[in-house]
Amino acid sequence: MAPISIPTTARLPSSLRVDPSNPAVFKILNRLSRASLLTLALDWLDERNLALAAPYLRPPSSSEYDDEEDEDEYADDFNPPLRSLDALQELYTSLQSRKGSKREVIDRIIEGDWRHGLTLYQLAMADIQYLYDHPTSQKWAAYRIMPLKPVSTNDEEEEQQPPEIDQESLVIPRFHPSTFLKNLQAQVPPDVKAHYNFDRHRTLPLSILRIFILDSPYNTSLGLQSGSSSSKGTRTARKSTTTFDTSRTVYIAFPDASPYIYISKPQLLSGSAPTTGTGSSTTAAAKVTGINTTAGEAKSLQHLLLVGIPAALSRPRQRFCLKPTNLATRNLNELLDRRGGANTRQGAAGGGWSIYADEMREKGKGKKGNRETPLDTVLPSPPLSEEENEAEGAGKGNGKGEGNKRAEPPLSLSAKREERERKRRRLVAKARFADTGLVGDGKGVERVDIIIEDEFPSSPSNQHSSSTQPSSSTSSSSSSSSSRDRDRDTERDTPGDRGSSSSSTAEKQKQEEWRPTVKLTFHGSHVFAGIRQLVEAGIIDGEKMPGWMTGEEGVTVGKVREGRIRGNKGSGL
Amino acid sequence: MSSPTPSPLDIEIESLKSKITTLKSNLRIQTSTILSSPSTTSLLSNPPSSSQLKPKGITPTILKSLRHYASLQKAHNQQSLYRTCATITTFRVQDPDPNAVDGGAVLGLRIEVFARGRFARPYYVLMNRPFAAGSRKENGKGTGNGGKENGKEKSRGKKGKYANWLRVHRHTIPPCVPLSGLAARYLPAPPARPDEQGREQDLVKFARRLRRELVRYHHRLATITDLRKAILAEAESETNKIQNVTPADAEAKQITIEWEDGQTGRLVMGDDGEIVQVVALNGSGGQGGGSGRDREVVRELVGQAKRVEDVVRRLRSGTKG
Repeated sequence: MAPISIPTTARLPSSLRVDPSNPAVFKILNRLSRASLLTLALDWLDERNLALAAPYLRPPSSSEYDDEEDEDEYADDFNPPLRSLDALQELYTSLQSRKGSKREVIDRIIEGDWRHGLTLYQLAMADIQYLYDHPTSQKWAAYRIMPLKPVSTNDEEEEQQPPEIDQESLVIPRFHPSTFLKNLQAQVPPDVKAHYNFDRHRTLPLSILRIFILDSPYNTSLGLQSGSSSSKGTRTARKSTTTFDTSRTVYIAFPDASPYIYISKPQLLSGSAPTTGTGSSTTAAAKVTGINTTAGEAKSLQHLLLVGIPAALSRPRQRFCLKPTNLATRNLNELLDRRGGANTRQGAAGGGWSIYADEMREKGKGKKGNRETPLDTVLPSPPLSEEENEAEGAGKGNGKGEGNKRAEPPLSLSAKREERERKRRRLVAKARFADTGLVGDGKGVERVDIIIEDEFPSSPSNQHSSSTQPSSSTSSSSSSSSSRDRDRDTERDTPGDRGSSSSSTAEKQKQEEWRPTVKLTFHGSHVFAGIRQLVEAGIIDGEKMPGWMTGEEGVTVGKVREGRIRGNKGSGL
Repeated sequence: MSSPTPSPLDIEIESLKSKITTLKSNLRIQTSTILSSPSTTSLLSNPPSSSQLKPKGITPTILKSLRHYASLQKAHNQQSLYRTCATITTFRVQDPDPNAVDGGAVLGLRIEVFARGRFARPYYVLMNRPFAAGSRKENGKGTGNGGKENGKEKSRGKKGKYANWLRVHRHTIPPCVPLSGLAARYLPAPPARPDEQGREQDLVKFARRLRRELVRYHHRLATITDLRKAILAEAESETNKIQNVTPADAEAKQITIEWEDGQTGRLVMGDDGEIVQVVALNGSGGQGGGSGRDREVVRELVGQAKRVEDVVRRLRSGTKG
């Protein structure tokens, strides 16, 4: 029997071991590639991690003669334990150079060297390794940390009105990992146990907090439902592992020097957990526990975090709240660019405006550094440089077909016109997108949802000045040609029937009032690069294209009115 | 390119290419120097009539283009001068968005920051006038845009009054500068109801305050760099050397200090570089045992210094002595 476990509010200790036979362990490890697994195992054996990831070693024998006996003990063991750390490190290093299956490594870890269980810390490391291997595996939503108005000392008043966002505050929120964690722990309800692990992103200026949540009140191994004890290899009979199955992992990323945080969508560890109706999840009770499996409850877990995180960031007399910024993507690079820290200036100057923000703009052209300094007296477009610019422009654009064309010496008149048109389109695209929205820049969003609430064009004869309607029809036509443009963007126009069905009769009289809900979803590996390609290909009219199609607003969800995204307005304020 | 060892021909091409780039940039510099010299200006404005003094090969078209470039150069020189001396300059931009408010007219604010001996890339704030809605419609000069601007209910009641009120449209201010707070203070939106009395906008105050924040930020960063340099220059023999200093927060107001023996500390800087507080903690490596404040180390580091620059000076003098 397990010793008496008292429910506490403490967090799950990192040293807590999970029984290796737990399917969750296998699931976590199996996601990784062989190479990653081996690196991970070597990381575990590293001196810094050893305290929390001690492998199972053969107990030191009292004398040399005991060898024979030991051999007997592990004789039928497929993965016999080694005697020392060095030997183990050597083993994994040799596995690295050798070819073999992933399964072999997993077996070695689960049944051999960590047969007494993997600690939560190790599992966290494995999960984070997966995140590095698959950077787009998480969908991140960016939130802005906003200062709240200092509330009055009167408690009753405080309860009555929710704190307001202090628009005029000049405070930039500051973040200190360990304090934050301590405060966050206090926010988590006592019937939920969480394991926290901070990690520094290897390449990006980010700190990632992995929160692993169990709905168990115990912070001992009881919570993990595995009875493995520290004495060698003896295991008590395992109970069902349901608790572990309903566990969830949430990542929170803190970009350096930035008032934003990114929260990933909560992920269920095991996909096999039963799903219940979403209706029940909206109740308040579900909000508090929030650990079950439905989509709605995943949201409520997020809600829990959204409540808990600002509280954890706040300090006495300095309170913050989180405000969604309508940007959700799988691409951390894009997030850092848009909602990043000190050195990113593109946040509120996307699309064509990025020429004002792009630090490296002139460097790429082989000119020395910063051309924007007022001490430089050379004209921005000096004389005697036209022909060079022209050549550059021609060579730069999209590629291969271009080169072939130019190689052909005689150009017919129509071809020449074609050529001119293409050049013009490229210039237009350059004006609208500047240096953003390029296919290879690795800063793509994969989904953009736009709801258009503009007035319906009153009559076909009336030349409507709004270009939103024409452009949306252009974009729908583009889906037919998208395959030709090696462009994976697909667009669906879904005319909402909410407004149209009810007001179709009234629409006759009050035409200007009728605003059909048109929902556009752009979907692809790099949406705005796709739109740029369509502009360059002449499918979208680059000059009439509304601004939100260039991605300059920096949102992935938006409502368009009067041809502009409402609310956000791209000012980043 | 694909071969691991480039052939001598490739190397030569590469070096020639770099030479071309250098020569081209030299040419550009020379051109602008010649164009902006007073003698060139006078020559271009009234070319000598006598045939001997007339430079060869100057046709009227060339003269025209030269004049054009000279005037461009003059304007550019003047702009550079303003940018250098006034550091806040304005310019006008056309919003490429066909649905942009106010016909796409955008006012740009360019803020130069001079720190660490050079001009940083300027910061831009681009503002538009979304509150001009009502007046434009009435004027009836809706050339493609005016007709759609009736969405702004806000200023309908008081047409024209807020026509010139600005709002930040795009900007390149880093997030560590509280632009939104400043904008809310100095560039408030018109009141929601016409009868309400709102505050006036003050663009000048806004620009000055914003520039102040930016310059402060850059100077704080520069101070941290100085501190780091001073530490690197410190004598090796020094016992318990500071190993690293890093800015710990977005605004570069807090500095993390790491000592060689594992102690860590925090230095909190005020807005203008004055020392607000310094704390050093006994780390795991310290002899003090446990964690607590180590006032001695702090005294050794800071002494009588009131500003971070004083600390830098102390460290530097320590190396000399």
